[in-house]
Amino acid sequence: MNWLLALPALLLIALVFGWPMLRYGWLSLHASSVLTGLEPVPNQGANWARLLEDPRFWQDALQTLRFGVVSVGLEMVLAFAIALLLDQRWRGRGVVRALTLLPWALPTTMMALGWRWIFNTPYGPLEQLAQAAGLSPLNLLSNPDWTWFAAVMADVWKTTPFVTLLLLAGLQTIPDDLYSAFRLEGGKTRQAITAITLPLLTPYILISLLFRTAQAAGVFDLIQVLTGGGPAGSTESIAQYAYLNAMRFLDFGYSSTVMLAGFLLLSLVIATAALLLQMSRLLRPLKS
Amino acid sequence: MPLMRRLLLTLIGLLLAGSIGWSGLQRPEEISILMPAPFADATVDQVKQFNADHSGRIVLNVIRGPRDTESISDLAISSLLLGTPPFDALLVDVTWLPKYVAADWLQPLDPWFDDADVDALVAGARLGNSVNGDLYRWPFGADVGLLYWRKDLMPEPPRTASDLIQIASRLRADGKVKEGFVWQGRQYEGLSCNFVEFLSAFGGTWLDPVTGQPELDSKAARATVHWMQQLIREGTSPLAVSNYAEPETLQAFKAGDAALMRNWPYAWAELQSDSSAVKGRVGVTTMVAEPGASPAATLGSWGFSLLRGSQHQQATAEAIRALTSSQAQRDRFLQQGYTPTEASLFEDPELLEASPVLTQLKEALAIAVPRPITPLYAQMSDLLQRQLSGVLTEKRDPDQAMEQLQGATITLLRSAGGES
Repeated sequence: MNWLLALPALLLIALVFGWPMLRYGWLSLHASSVLTGLEPVPNQGANWARLLEDPRFWQDALQTLRFGVVSVGLEMVLAFAIALLLDQRWRGRGVVRALTLLPWALPTTMMALGWRWIFNTPYGPLEQLAQAAGLSPLNLLSNPDWTWFAAVMADVWKTTPFVTLLLLAGLQTIPDDLYSAFRLEGGKTRQAITAITLPLLTPYILISLLFRTAQAAGVFDLIQVLTGGGPAGSTESIAQYAYLNAMRFLDFGYSSTVMLAGFLLLSLVIATAALLLQMSRLLRPLKS
Repeated sequence: MPLMRRLLLTLIGLLLAGSIGWSGLQRPEEISILMPAPFADATVDQVKQFNADHSGRIVLNVIRGPRDTESISDLAISSLLLGTPPFDALLVDVTWLPKYVAADWLQPLDPWFDDADVDALVAGARLGNSVNGDLYRWPFGADVGLLYWRKDLMPEPPRTASDLIQIASRLRADGKVKEGFVWQGRQYEGLSCNFVEFLSAFGGTWLDPVTGQPELDSKAARATVHWMQQLIREGTSPLAVSNYAEPETLQAFKAGDAALMRNWPYAWAELQSDSSAVKGRVGVTTMVAEPGASPAATLGSWGFSLLRGSQHQQATAEAIRALTSSQAQRDRFLQQGYTPTEASLFEDPELLEASPVLTQLKEALAIAVPRPITPLYAQMSDLLQRQLSGVLTEKRDPDQAMEQLQGATITLLRSAGGES
């Protein structure tokens, strides 16, 4: 009978998640574009066959992965350091805590426009700095090998505060007594981090990782505004490719296929990560 | 007393019945048109005038959409997909039309605009309004690509592609200007617009007008892309143009850092503003072309399209006509600088006096070239942008890039089943 209590929640999930997924699945098995007058016509999995042979999809998948891994990784490290700092007691901490949150509060499109001007050659502040240092123009947005990193920089700037907030909340749940006891027994501060802070913070780290990975895998607005997927398609993400197919090309069949394939890939990545985590726990159980 | 009361009641009853009947008869038709914000702002007076002229019969509302072309496209498409959009007409960009027609969203305008109306348009404004012989769009303003040049740096603007490089390198070598030629090389629709002009300068076309087949690996197309790469390699254009859209391009030219700029007519007013470092030192002409090839100006421009599902087609067509009347075009040109579409206005003494570039605009409109007119244009343009961006930024080999592009475009058109 207990499951009845969960029914409202299950219904909601079915409605906002299950139904769209089924619809995507159904649409991905149909041709639905301007060529069919936007009517869905069954096409025997042609969309999926096309996807498997579409180098652009796989390139975008790798680019999305690269963006996600590097930006989430950097965010975790930076956020951890900042959270440690903000957890200490010092004058003016309240103000700084509020200020560090600011980037997170900005709408992504606005901050992406801002970064586009920061990276602008030759008028952006970054180029001005490079000029002052006597370097040749960086042209960071015109470099297929490195433009993706500009997107990472903007993303790290924007979302580190979010991770900081989660980790800071986690840090505040760790009782000071633990550290006092540790010090009393002759432990060093550096050891305290690995022996007390990190293990107790693990649930918070995991939840931030989950949130951020899901968000980074669906990155759209930042890249759309900052680079438009260029140069030479080197920053295009899966979400952007799906958007292009739906809203520019009016090819809804293929767009659904791309979106669904992106979702499956993301699930695969998260499942692998969870499995690895499980295995590492089995090998080295957390001491409580 | 009872009589008085009865009379009063009757009177009230009559009044009520009358007012209900009256309002039923006289309820004006409410119509709405979706426009990007700048156009909505530019038509405020004309909408007021229209509503005053049609008082009690038609009420025209303008829905102020986002400013950005892509955002307004998303908004329009989302509403159209839902079946009953909350507007009767909308402003569409010239490249959307075949796609919208293929999706069966639009109603032909032929019953309301005849050949005489079309003949009254300036050459460039006649293009890109019809699909398969039916008129689906009535132009709001004329818009074409132009070449802006610095009168204080050169006596005459360059006329050929090689001229352009020579003049720019001489100016840069003499230290007279930082950059030679700025244009739109970012991976977006603007790059395709620039390419159409450059391609014409070398005598090429994107699609063969007769066979409808892509001509992207032709000798002319290869020469074009070699030239574009050369612009950056030899420093005529900074590498940064490969990430420039219109605003960045205008900023460089407006700051006095560039000798030549490719941009749309809107830039003129900006360059004459007080914040411009080159005010009064700018000339306008058409894009260069190699000897034997004809220069071209890529057709931009927005136009009104009537929705198939509109319940007020007659009233909406009247509104479209009023918003694009001679008087409306005059007002918009004099107040906001929107290029008119009616040929006779280009000879109008008052307009000629107000703008020294009207003659050049007419010249550019005479050589206007539309981008390929096909429902698959968005895909074709996307393929082109990716390859060109590769040529400009990672020094991809132009010949190889164009061969790949030709193959990809053929595959695309073939998958459409139509033009192969």
